[in-house]
Amino acid sequence: MSIRHTLFHRIQAFCDVLLSVALFASIIISVHGLTACSSRPSSVPASFSESSDTARIFPDYRDVVIPPNIAPMNFMVRDSLASEFVVTIADIVCGATSDGKIDIDANAWRQLLEKSKGNTLQVDVYAHRDQGWIHMKPFVMTVAEEPIDSFLSYRLIEPGYELYRQLGLYQRNLTDFTETPIYENNRTFDNVDNHCVNCHNYQNYSTDHMLFHVRAGHGGTIIVDGNEAHKITIKHDSIISAGVYPSWHPTQNLIAFSTNYTGQVFHMLHTEKIEVLDLGSDLLLYDVERNAVKHIVHTKDALETFPCWTPDGTRLYYCSARRTEIPKDSTYMIDFIAKYDSILYDIYSIPFDSKTRSFGEPRLEVDASSQGHSTSVPRISPDGRYMLYTQGDYGQFHIWHKSADLWVKKIQEDGSENTEEQSAYPLTAANSAEADSYHTWSSNGRWIVFASRRLDAAYSRAFIAYFDKNGQARKAFLMPQRDPELNTFLLKSYNVPELTKNSVKVSIEKLNHVVYNTEPELATYEE
Amino acid sequence: MKKFSSFISHYRTIAYALFFVLAWIWATWWMGDLYRMAYENSFLAADRTLMHFLWQESFGTMWIAGRALLLLYRWPLIGGLAVAVLLTAAVWLIGYCFRLRPRWRWLGLLPVSAWMTWVAWLGLNLFFQHEPGRTLGVLLLGVLVCAVDAFVIWTFKSRSSHHQHLEAAPVTLSTWLLTLVMIVLCFGAPTLVTSLRHPYARPVTHMQVQLLHEDWVGMSETAHKHAALSYRPLAAYYVVALIHTGHITDELFDIRLDYDSLYVVNWTGQPDVGTNYYIVDCNYAAGLFRAAEHKAIEQMTMDGPSLFTLKHLTRLALLDSNWALARKYLQILSKAPFEGAFIERYSAMLDSPDRVAADPEFALLRQTEPAMDSFESYYEAPVFLGYNCALLAGRSKTALMHSLLSNLYSKRMPAFLERCQPLVGTMPPRYIAEGLVTQVKKYPEVLQAFPQLNMTAQLFSGFLRDVSTELKDRPTYARELFDRYHGYYPYYYFFGNLKATRKRTTNEHGGSNAGVN
Repeated sequence: MSIRHTLFHRIQAFCDVLLSVALFASIIISVHGLTACSSRPSSVPASFSESSDTARIFPDYRDVVIPPNIAPMNFMVRDSLASEFVVTIADIVCGATSDGKIDIDANAWRQLLEKSKGNTLQVDVYAHRDQGWIHMKPFVMTVAEEPIDSFLSYRLIEPGYELYRQLGLYQRNLTDFTETPIYENNRTFDNVDNHCVNCHNYQNYSTDHMLFHVRAGHGGTIIVDGNEAHKITIKHDSIISAGVYPSWHPTQNLIAFSTNYTGQVFHMLHTEKIEVLDLGSDLLLYDVERNAVKHIVHTKDALETFPCWTPDGTRLYYCSARRTEIPKDSTYMIDFIAKYDSILYDIYSIPFDSKTRSFGEPRLEVDASSQGHSTSVPRISPDGRYMLYTQGDYGQFHIWHKSADLWVKKIQEDGSENTEEQSAYPLTAANSAEADSYHTWSSNGRWIVFASRRLDAAYSRAFIAYFDKNGQARKAFLMPQRDPELNTFLLKSYNVPELTKNSVKVSIEKLNHVVYNTEPELATYEE
Repeated sequence: MKKFSSFISHYRTIAYALFFVLAWIWATWWMGDLYRMAYENSFLAADRTLMHFLWQESFGTMWIAGRALLLLYRWPLIGGLAVAVLLTAAVWLIGYCFRLRPRWRWLGLLPVSAWMTWVAWLGLNLFFQHEPGRTLGVLLLGVLVCAVDAFVIWTFKSRSSHHQHLEAAPVTLSTWLLTLVMIVLCFGAPTLVTSLRHPYARPVTHMQVQLLHEDWVGMSETAHKHAALSYRPLAAYYVVALIHTGHITDELFDIRLDYDSLYVVNWTGQPDVGTNYYIVDCNYAAGLFRAAEHKAIEQMTMDGPSLFTLKHLTRLALLDSNWALARKYLQILSKAPFEGAFIERYSAMLDSPDRVAADPEFALLRQTEPAMDSFESYYEAPVFLGYNCALLAGRSKTALMHSLLSNLYSKRMPAFLERCQPLVGTMPPRYIAEGLVTQVKKYPEVLQAFPQLNMTAQLFSGFLRDVSTELKDRPTYARELFDRYHGYYPYYYFFGNLKATRKRTTNEHGGSNAGVN
């Protein structure tokens, strides 16, 4: 009896411990977010009344043009009066969680897109309110014929000011929801290892050649060649700083960099919050194979930045502003900063002879300054017919300027000069009242992806817009996520979205090794 | 004697009960406000995206477990109870696992006392620029390890032999006394460490808890109660309280403003003056909303989201009429338990500029919002009152007063006199008057502009006579004179804030004090 009694108690105690552990684990797991968001299986309500109400959905996917290979366009219905939802997208029926989130079946979605190329998809939202089911006004999504490149890489970083902690470069498979890190900095604070990464760039939509910068600890520029990587650094008395904004030549192992002396200041009352200013900047040409660098332009009276090659590699576009002459005394910085809103950038191009690796005379492409505006980030479409750029009221760090919008300029096929009035125009349908900037073309020229702060004026998100054959963009839509609320809960910004045809080949372990364990090779400066 | 024997026979029960009660008192009354603010500087939600920052950290799971326990400190009495239970369990489990005989059972107190002393040693670093769930995570892990160990022993060892081994030895009076002494030492060590190393930590966190309840008078009273302490965070939160009570022009210099070391370190492990501890609250209270947002975002970048930063960012977004951003932060806060009241209060202001304008706190702080744009780097230290020493344009008389007081605090007398122009012909508030008379000798025209100050000037002359000896060696006599003259600006001018850390230009000296902290 005694033995049985003891055994019983021990088993009971063991179960108690197991229960406690399970309870604790459930707390941890629920915090971990492993609790799946399960859509209730549903069917279209048998009876419902028609409503003139428009469903409030997030993200706004009404009347957008979407790629035929895009991941399911999950959204959530926001209706505090309703307790249940059913959504139909063409012939797909989706149930929704009580908070209105729909999670579209990926296989059904893929099949639907495949058969709907060039057609529209009607989306019907049914909501169950106190009076019963209602059918709200339907909306449509149009499926384009042309796919978007499968991978989008970006940096995730707090929309911050001066400090950084956990940040990284990530690539998202746009055909599903997979996001994988390309490189992440040290997760735990460490005086020696703390570093920032930025300015990732690829050669001609391929991940065979890639680069990004490492700043602070373990600094240098990481050059990726297929599965291999190495670290270089650009330093010379005549060079302002290490390479900054990059553009990889489409066919040769050459990279154009800007080199910038940058400062930032913070407004106390202005509608803008931050100003990032270049106090000096030039352009560099870096030869990857020879590890050699030389100036493209080296001027004292101009600020050149944001280089960008044409798809055939025969011209280099860039932005340039006149540098105000300010005497270098003790108030130099204050005087310079005080003129922040009078620094206006135009776009120039300069011919490049790939045989001699020499540049010709610059040509003004967009004269924004004469109109009291400023431009940044020129990007040429893959067919060479359009230049996409950002235009704002002043300066070049348009990612923090509400006035920043996407503009396009038609490029003459014969390369002749073009008057801006005739050919430059804003992409009104894609733009917003908040900052729209850092755009990238898809390799087929039919899609543009850019960073926009339109959701809340603080956290930039990746938006996708269709660019039609007539040079007009359609309404931009938020990059779909499995859980649409990720856009709310993610306290980081999407920075510098770049489309590529394939995923990055080099492993994160390899990049970690190169960053942490190798010394940068100093590039040779050539006069 | 029989009674005593009976008492002795309940040795274990009484000792554990005593320890538990003392632990509860320590964890609630002594450390309650510190852990309450650790809770406020923490964040826990059942969402992977929101907790990503912490999961990525080394020991992230342990910190999350610590944060889960920290949640109970929303109510310090309950949080303290949980910690007391864990500490008591730890003592018992250590004794059980190591088969300590009654005579040596006090050894189980040592690791517990070490943990408590470590917590006390951290001071504000319990959460400031360090993981707030760290200490409780370590405690939980320790107890868990001991519990598993004890369970293994209990399951696989012969229960009778183990039990008999423990109970065999008799409990003597000396054992009982030794245990009592060790219990006292167990709590004495951390209490002494807090009192000697971080005497400001409890008052400061108490003021912060009062701030959470908008008990501005209470904050001011706490600062007055600890007026002789001289630490930056105490002064900073005192100023925040005075801004709300409206007594800044007659109470600012009531407390010591000399600033001893906080003994805190920043993320890099270097000693830190602690400005980032209070800068968001100070900027916010001074109406410098953009600067407050800047610092709050940076805190979030470095420490991950916390209730403290998210609440500030919500208010700042509302003040900026950025409803979408305010909604985002409120949605995030709604994922944290126990924040319903905050969410209810501020959700009502979404999309409603009228409700934002009608909020008394917002209305008060808006009075000192900058009147024109400038850059943050153009503002000058000190951070108290929004480091607006250089402020030349304000949107209210309150803003002018803040500017005058920051110049008085910084002892920038030429700038102070320049900004007194709008007050010419009036009877200025007390500290302004006392500041003006300190300049009469150098600028006799002050009395012509302010003839009402004759009496104040006579009092000042009397003060100079009284302290003529002490003026020759001000650092020596500063503390001694504080008890007699605290709250009197000329005392502060000559004897306060003497540890200059900032070089000043010649034309800023303006007086006999070379600088301020």
